Parts: sequence; structure tokens; C-alpha cells
Amino acid sequence: MKINPVFQKESRVSARSFRLALMMLAFNGILAIVALFNMYSVMEQVRMTAEVRYSSFLELYIFVATIEFILVIFIVPSITAGCISGERERQTLDLMLTTDMSTEQIVIGKIMASLQTVILLLISSLPVLSLVFVYGGVNGTDLAMLVGYLTVTALFVGSMGLFFSAVFGKTMVASVVTYIVTLILVAGTYAFNHFFYSINSMNSSVYTAIGDDMPRAGAGCYLLLLNPAATFYLIINEQAGSNQVMRQFEQQFGRFPENWVTAHWVGVSVFLQVALALFFLFAAARAIEPVKGRRK
Amino acid sequence: MLEIKDLHKTYGKFHALDGLDLSIEDGELFGFVGSNGAGKTTTIKIITGLLRADSGSVTVDGVDALKNRKALKKKIGYVPDFFGVYDNLKVSEYMEFFASCCGMEGLLARQRCMTLLEQVGLDEKMDFYVDGLSRGMKQRLCMARALIHDPALLVLDEPSSGLDPKSRLEMKGILKELKEQGKTIFISSHILSELSEICTDIGIIDQGKMVAKGSIDDILSRVNASNLLLISVLDGVEKTMAILRSHPYVQTISIKGKEIAVGFTGEKRDEAVLLQRLVDAEVPVNGFMRERGSLESIFMQFIDQKGGDVS
Repeated sequence: MKINPVFQKESRVSARSFRLALMMLAFNGILAIVALFNMYSVMEQVRMTAEVRYSSFLELYIFVATIEFILVIFIVPSITAGCISGERERQTLDLMLTTDMSTEQIVIGKIMASLQTVILLLISSLPVLSLVFVYGGVNGTDLAMLVGYLTVTALFVGSMGLFFSAVFGKTMVASVVTYIVTLILVAGTYAFNHFFYSINSMNSSVYTAIGDDMPRAGAGCYLLLLNPAATFYLIINEQAGSNQVMRQFEQQFGRFPENWVTAHWVGVSVFLQVALALFFLFAAARAIEPVKGRRK
Repeated sequence: MLEIKDLHKTYGKFHALDGLDLSIEDGELFGFVGSNGAGKTTTIKIITGLLRADSGSVTVDGVDALKNRKALKKKIGYVPDFFGVYDNLKVSEYMEFFASCCGMEGLLARQRCMTLLEQVGLDEKMDFYVDGLSRGMKQRLCMARALIHDPALLVLDEPSSGLDPKSRLEMKGILKELKEQGKTIFISSHILSELSEICTDIGIIDQGKMVAKGSIDDILSRVNASNLLLISVLDGVEKTMAILRSHPYVQTISIKGKEIAVGFTGEKRDEAVLLQRLVDAEVPVNGFMRERGSLESIFMQFIDQKGGDVS
């Protein structure tokens, strides 16, 4: 099987770079410190109160997984935002464009190399995540699902980074725009829906936290399908044994409509993120196509 | 090999190319000359498929370059005016990367890379990181990269810029070798003296139009006709001056020692008649020739005309 030349080259360069080793050290260092500190705090609590709360160990898993999610969201744009603009800055993009490689192959090679780095980081962090196995509560399937979803998030955010890298000439600009758009998706959709919910709450004469009189979430709630953090929250809480995860959502945004989409929220969200990622990759390939559109 | 017809390209209101016409035969080493902003790089980018033309046609070895980019890529080897190298790759890895980008794999790719590195004199640097190469070596590596898929046309944009004299000499040697192998080469350069030594033909572009094209000797002879006639005499300067002043084709005369520079509008036959008159007048003439123009002087002369009436 022929390996994508760009992927092969990027893998070689990345394996040689000090940056990858440093990134792995920082990524796992932060996770390990957080996990060990959390474990220490749980053990101290047990010592002080002589009460073992097994939910604390699951909280450890949630905490470490959340930190890992945040790190992925922060690291991926820094990896992908320089993919194409870096080639432009090095003036090597034109050289690749004059070879038999298509722009799609170049973009696929780049995203594969970026995902490879993320997957390497995720796999290297498994020992830290596996601390939760000491006490039980989470199984291998849960871990695989977590790694799977983090990979989807990396693909989604990474494809945006790659697209902006293809559109903007400078890596710095592409990085900033990717971070802003990610922030809008994560915090913006949350803030928008929460604000809408707050307005509805004020207008509601009789308000109870959970119940039939709870204000309804607006149509904007579907924007949360594109919020990687919201879907991560649902997945991780479901793994932690919460059978009313959507209820927790509703406390923040109001009562969600009952339909097929909300019933299959995680699946629909993952599908949309993958579909959007493919769109961004296609758009990136179009953006670096040197001769496009109609002639005058 | 290369046929450009009525090529137009505008950037906003600026006409970078304004009806450029050009044709290059197989095996030619064509020098493309023009001042900054004349349209050289735009032309090269269009030829290599990296830029869309507004109108016109470009054909490379029978392939329509504006419509069939995929086929064009197989025909063209491109050496830009920058190195375009990955510093953290070894020389052999850099070559193998571009070989695989051109669909070559395994032993075939390695053999091809080795042959080309030998050709450009970098075979002993195969395991060196590109970062550690000198500018001249990087440029030769770029040349080897451009040849990896054995293109029919090699396009070089300012290949000697920033190189020291030794590296330029090496580059010239490689170009000569490629020419002897029958490769068609299109080279744009500001170092005109180099072009005059290696190119079979040159084209001068100004304001997006070709103002002169032909073999260097052709163009030189056309331009030489307006150059000064240099006459050296052992003695009898006064007698010579008297003859020259009475000659209808003599426009200007300037004397430097025993060498006389004459602005002479006559043709070769008139030059012969003038020499005969000097000899008949028993002037001891020991030098009689037109001042030979350099490519620089030709270039400046055509650019100053800005008319396009020469070609």
C-alpha cells in the first residue's frame, strides 16, 4: 500500500523534532500532576472522615478526562494552524503543487500527520487515565470511547485549523482565528443558549428548576451539537453513571425538545462534527488549488 | 516545446502580461530577461500551472498548460527563485520525498535520486541535513529535485541569485550539461553576462510584452549596427580626422589618444569603403571594428525603446 508522501515526511520530521517530546512531557506531566493531586486529596479525605466515597474515584476519571479534553482543544490548533501556512512561509507549497500530488492528497497527508500526533499523545496518557482502574468504576470500553471521541474532537478542531492555515498566509493569523472559532463553538454556543434561557426564565411567572413549567430551550439549542465540550460532557457523565445527563443539560439551557435528534444527541453531534471536518478539509484543498475558478 | 500566444494577466488594474507571445524549440536553452516587474515571474508561474492567466494560450510539449494541469505537471520541472527546502530532512530523504510525490517508490526512486545527486555533485552529501548545506548546494539540490521526474521542460527562475561566483560557475556547468543532454531549459535571470555565455536564444520582456527575441548573435548584430566604430591608428590622427569629418555617415567623433570612436550610421559595406579610404590615404590603421555590445547594453537599449518595434 502506498503511504501518503506528505504523511510519511511529516511523521519523519515530527519524530525527529524536540517539540514532540516536549509536548508529550508537558501533556502527560500536567495530566499526572492533576491525577496524583486529585488522588492525594481523595485519600486525605478518607483519612480525615474515615468514609470511603467511591464516587470520588469516578470524579478523578472525569477530572483527568476533562483536563485531557481541554489540552486537546488547546494543542490541536497549534499543530494544524501551521500545516499549510508553514509550507507557504517555507515556500515549499509551490514545489509540492508542481508534483503529481493533488491538493486533496496534500491536505489528507497533513491532517493524518496531525491526528497521528494527537493519537500518540492520547495513547501515551492511558497510564494516567488507567489510575481509575485501581478502584474500578470505568472499563476499557469507556476508555476506548473517550479516546475515540477525543480523536473526533481533534479531527474537527484540526480540520478547522488546517482550513484557516490554507486560507490565511501567516501561521500566527491562522492560529488566532482557529482559537477564536473554537472559543465561539465551545463558549459562544454555551453563552448564547444560557443567555436565551435566562431571558426565558425571567419571563416565566412560575419557575421550577426541573419540571413541566421549566422554560423551553430555543432552537439555538441545536447549536450545541457543534460544541465539542457539550458532547464531551454528555459522554463523560454517561460513563460516570449519570442516567439523567440531558437533565443536567436542561438545568443550564432549559427543556430540550423531545425528538430523534435529542434522543441520539451524542451520535448526531459526532456525525455533524465529522461531516464538518470533511467539509473543512475539502475547502482547505480548494483553497490551496493554485488554478481554480473560471477564466475571465 | 513551449508555445505562448497572446497571454494576458492583470492584477487589479495592473497589466502584468499584455499579450505575451513566445515560442521555444526542443533542446533550446532560452534566457528570459526583463527588469523587475516586467512580468517574468508571472509568466513562469503561468507556465508551471501555479497561476491562472486571464486569456491566451500556453502549450508545453503539446499539452495545454491552462486546461490540463495534471498532464502539465509531468512535463515541467520548476526551480523557483527561493530554495524551498525542508531543513530537518536529509538530502536523500528530501529527494525521496519529492520522488514519492511524483509517484516513484522504492529502488527505482532511490536509483533516480542517486543519479541526480551525482549529476549535481551532491552524492557525497546524501546523509547530510539540508540545513547544513551551503546556498550553492541547496540550489543544486533544488535543481536535482526539479529533474526527478525527468521533465521535458526545465523552468528556472533566477537560479543564480544570491550565489557566490564559484556556485554560479557550478550552476552554469550543470545547465550546460543538461543542454548537451538535450533538455529544453527556460531560464530567467538578472545576471545577463551568464545568460549570454550559455543561452542559445534570449527573449527580452518589458511591461508584459516581448520586445526582442532571437539568438544572441542575431540580436547583438542588430544592436551592433548602432554601436560606435572604433578606429586605432599608429599615427596620422589629423589626416584620419579630416577624412572622417568629410564622410556623410559620420555623426560624432571622439578621440582618446590614438583611438577614435566614431558614431557611424553606415552599413558594413560603408564601413569597408571608409577603411579603404583611410588605407588609400596611407593612414597606418591597426584597428577597425564596431564596439561589441554586451547583453546588458542590448537589454538597456530595448528597454529604453519600449516600443516593441525591434523584434
